[in-house]
Amino acid sequence: MRRPSAAVVVTGLLFGLPLVALVVRAFADVWRAPALLPQRWGGRGFDAAFAGDDALPALLASLGAGAATTLLALVVAWPAARVLGERRLRHPALIFMLLAMPLLVPPYAVGLGLTEWFLRLGLTGTAASLVLAHLTVVLPYTVLLLLSGFGPEVRGLEEMGRAAGLSGAERLRWVTVPALRPTLAAAVLVSFLVSWSQYGTSLAVAPEQPTLPVLLLPFVGADPQAAAALSLLFLVPALLALIAAVRVMEAPA
Amino acid sequence: MLAPACIVLLLLFGGAVVGLVRSSLVTLSGAVSLDAWRGLLADPGFADAARFSVQVALLSTVLAAGTGLALAGLLRSRGTLPRAVLALPVPVPHLLVATSAVLWLGPGGLADRLLGALPVELIRDHGGLGIVVVYVYKEAPFLALLVLAACGRELQAREEAATVLGATPWQRVRWVMWPAIRGPLLVGSIIVAAYVVGAFEVPLLVGPNSPPTLATFAFEATKADVIAGQGTAAAALTLLALFSVAIVALAARFARDVEGA
Repeated sequence: MRRPSAAVVVTGLLFGLPLVALVVRAFADVWRAPALLPQRWGGRGFDAAFAGDDALPALLASLGAGAATTLLALVVAWPAARVLGERRLRHPALIFMLLAMPLLVPPYAVGLGLTEWFLRLGLTGTAASLVLAHLTVVLPYTVLLLLSGFGPEVRGLEEMGRAAGLSGAERLRWVTVPALRPTLAAAVLVSFLVSWSQYGTSLAVAPEQPTLPVLLLPFVGADPQAAAALSLLFLVPALLALIAAVRVMEAPA
Repeated sequence: MLAPACIVLLLLFGGAVVGLVRSSLVTLSGAVSLDAWRGLLADPGFADAARFSVQVALLSTVLAAGTGLALAGLLRSRGTLPRAVLALPVPVPHLLVATSAVLWLGPGGLADRLLGALPVELIRDHGGLGIVVVYVYKEAPFLALLVLAACGRELQAREEAATVLGATPWQRVRWVMWPAIRGPLLVGSIIVAAYVVGAFEVPLLVGPNSPPTLATFAFEATKADVIAGQGTAAAALTLLALFSVAIVALAARFARDVEGA
């Protein structure tokens, strides 16, 4: 194996060290300045983070909203991604503008705007309000990622499946989904990750039902160890996404 | 086939925009009034927040683009591992990078312990340097990956052809490389700028208490006055949303120009 160059080591340290610091901070029960390493290690951070009644519901709200939003986004995005991916539209620019806007308008603005209607519908603070608000931001990502999987090759395979007498459901199960697997995996991961990372939308539509990021923020000033412990939980999906991405990059094309 | 996605987006996103405008114009009693807008435009705090947001966005974007270019240049001729390392911060939520920044750069943080004391205050400083650091750290790799994606084998072949034809290194960069990377770099930078202008959780964690960014200004307005604050916040966020849409339109325009060139 080749030795990594200085540039790689510096880049690695620059991006790896903050994560290491997060782990050390999360398990540092006593860490007085100016010591570089903690005086006592332990799990006080997790205890403190979960001491209130909010943490577990927040974790579950984040997981639930992430899963429900991802599923909903996939179902809604699928037909649109197929049309865009197979380049069946003559003027797709307008559709792409519509897809780009929710990505760039600040999420807190989207959340506050939706709250105006959610209040009237009695949805404020419910799981449905979280899912709908997240869907606004997640759906464009799902469409944009999925569309790269559709194209003449998948179309050809589906035609072969039809010729072989497979029904619509069978074609989906045995032809389309396996052919789209890497794209589908990326779409699922990114969709979940975008929902999981939402702060502004969640704070606006469901202030009484905090998600993990909404719970995390006040801890940063009040109890850095608890904040670091929650950050580690918050980091897990991002790490999974990265591992998956590296595996895809290294897999032979 | 496009209908489900378009209807959902028009309902939710369109609904959000209409909801914002409506709550900036309609009071709790149901009367239509421009008071929220008048109050907002007369508030020097709003002007400060707008100036601060634009300043932080410009500085973050320029520094992220410069750093991104440098990173891309550094890692161009290397394999997948460095690119994977470079991709590390891309999926990490902004909130986590900001939390990490507080642990590292805040008072009594790791940088203080390693170096004695930091020469400049970065966390909660008035110039918003902490916000800039977080966004450069997060967005420079994103821009570098965009640039690297445009530096494929085809570009290498064209550069070699230019060398054979006697081009100097400067001419190669100016006439071969720059035209290939400026499209993704400019569009990426505009996206970054639109993103930073709407910054919310990052300034809440590492930004100064005053001035706020536009989004945190709106948030504070809802906290300070539960009734009138909602209208002020909605008006401020409407302007912010309009500004972001204008930036998206600019990016689309640029993308077309570059493609057509």
